[in-house]
Amino acid sequence: MLIAALRRVLLSVITLVMLAVFIFIATEIMPGDALDVSLSADEIAMIPPERLAKMKQDLGLDRPAHERLLAFLNGAITLDFGKTLISKTPVSAIIGYPLRNSLILAGAVLLIAIPLALAIGIAAAFWKGRAVDHLVSTGSIIGYSIPEFVIGTILVMLFAVAWPIFPATITASTRDPALTLLASSPLAVATVLIGSIAYLARLLRTGMVDALASDFVERLRLTGIPEWRIVFLHALPAAVVPSLTALALYAASLVSGIVVVELVFAYPGLGQELVRGVTRREVHVVQAIALCSAAVVVALNLLADLAILMLDPRTRRA
Amino acid sequence: MRLFIQRLFRRPLTMLGLLLVAIHFGIALAAPWLTPHDPLKLLDAPLEQPTGVYWLGTDELGRDFFSRLLLGGQISIVAAACAGLIAAFGGGIIGLATAYHRGLFDDVVSRFVEMKLSIPSILLVSLFVTGFGQSLAVLIGVMGLIYMMGVIRTARAQGILIMEQGYVKAAKLRGESASAIILREMLPNIADLLTVEFALRTSSALLLVSALSFLGLGVSPPTPDWGSMIQSGLQSIRSEPWLILAPALCISTLVIGINFATEGVADLLGLEAARGATGQ
Repeated sequence: MLIAALRRVLLSVITLVMLAVFIFIATEIMPGDALDVSLSADEIAMIPPERLAKMKQDLGLDRPAHERLLAFLNGAITLDFGKTLISKTPVSAIIGYPLRNSLILAGAVLLIAIPLALAIGIAAAFWKGRAVDHLVSTGSIIGYSIPEFVIGTILVMLFAVAWPIFPATITASTRDPALTLLASSPLAVATVLIGSIAYLARLLRTGMVDALASDFVERLRLTGIPEWRIVFLHALPAAVVPSLTALALYAASLVSGIVVVELVFAYPGLGQELVRGVTRREVHVVQAIALCSAAVVVALNLLADLAILMLDPRTRRA
Repeated sequence: MRLFIQRLFRRPLTMLGLLLVAIHFGIALAAPWLTPHDPLKLLDAPLEQPTGVYWLGTDELGRDFFSRLLLGGQISIVAAACAGLIAAFGGGIIGLATAYHRGLFDDVVSRFVEMKLSIPSILLVSLFVTGFGQSLAVLIGVMGLIYMMGVIRTARAQGILIMEQGYVKAAKLRGESASAIILREMLPNIADLLTVEFALRTSSALLLVSALSFLGLGVSPPTPDWGSMIQSGLQSIRSEPWLILAPALCISTLVIGINFATEGVADLLGLEAARGATGQ
């Protein structure tokens, strides 16, 4: 058990290092170095060659690629992602609070979405093929087919413009405490929730349908155990375990959804910084945001893997 | 085939989906002939109310909104379909190759797939847009790559099952080369699976393109696109809400249509692909 758990942790670390290397290659080696990326071709042509060389030297870009990669990895471990190219502020200072704020939003969504999706998924699977089930299946397809920014905009139109009970954009500032932030952003939370519940409920319904149709549930029914005990104590754990492995896709899509929703509502999170970073071509900011959110996804996956190890003894042999 | 079509007609949601897709594709194809006005021409009358001449009024720069709405899906649909095609074909071949060869090649590819799946797609696109600049080719390439990862997984799982089949063993005994077996024997046998994957990935790619356009990182102005049209409509959310509602309705009905159709068809083909894991 311990060895299997350690193996999972090690694999996650390897994945993360590979991700860091990949992010570095995609942004700084393939298209040229950080300076080539942040300046346009016209700007580079305007700058005299001596000054360009001096700028590269200042930024440490005259060193060979593998040295810069090592420096990047070294920095990433200590959460030092370098400085921005224009204002020279440390990247970690720029993304620190936004990262916290995005995590708060994600946490709030997960806390509400998981119990609701469980209830909906179980109900749909229990009454499989009946009206409830059709409603849930159709509703969830519609739920994840509508883009998040459309859901968000429609919610603003309904609850901030037509019937103004909530603010349209978030008034809280970046460094406000968690509860102030959440209290001022009910529409943002609701927007991410709709897509998340649609996705998770569908996933759990499938797992639950399989579990309820399996041989061991049939055998339990023959022993005369009350149906509610079978559903909640026996079928549910068997349905949750396979659903946990699908968490990778969900975690990644949750982050994508949050990035977009933050921009709809001007929520002070990573999404804002990301778009600002891309439009100003601040390579280091984009790298840091990509690495941080990938780390969150990898960590969530590791948690799911460890939970499966604890819940399902069959996986411990691997 | 006739039985298949008969069964299809008994599923109202699937038919609705196919109808929506047909309408949207028809409009996107015929849009250049349908538009009553030049979608890029500035009419010097921004945010006009709808009239008999300008059916949905004009946008914030004074361009005919109805014409822009008709054209607003073109680029996204082409980009998403190209990405879906790259993903389905590339992913299918690579997935089958890993199933055929196994060993180190399989391990390396699987690790790479897992790694890619843990970067949220919006971030991956942002990385490449920062590095290579904002262009349609970059967008299609990156999206193709992103969605290929999921297809590799599905195709690999199916390929491992197919490897046990008699016709693959027979081809091996005939001494056919690996690429011939993968392309001629295995690929046709997962054609239905890859078709469904193509549709699923195209719908995900559509969502991604429109989100990127909304963020200002996708289709660049002045080309009309539903995502960026919703973004600019936010300025007049109180006075002219239809500038948001019309493109929102278009993109939503298109993606809902694709997903309804795909789910029904996949179900009829007896494929597991309809089981909700549409990915990001």
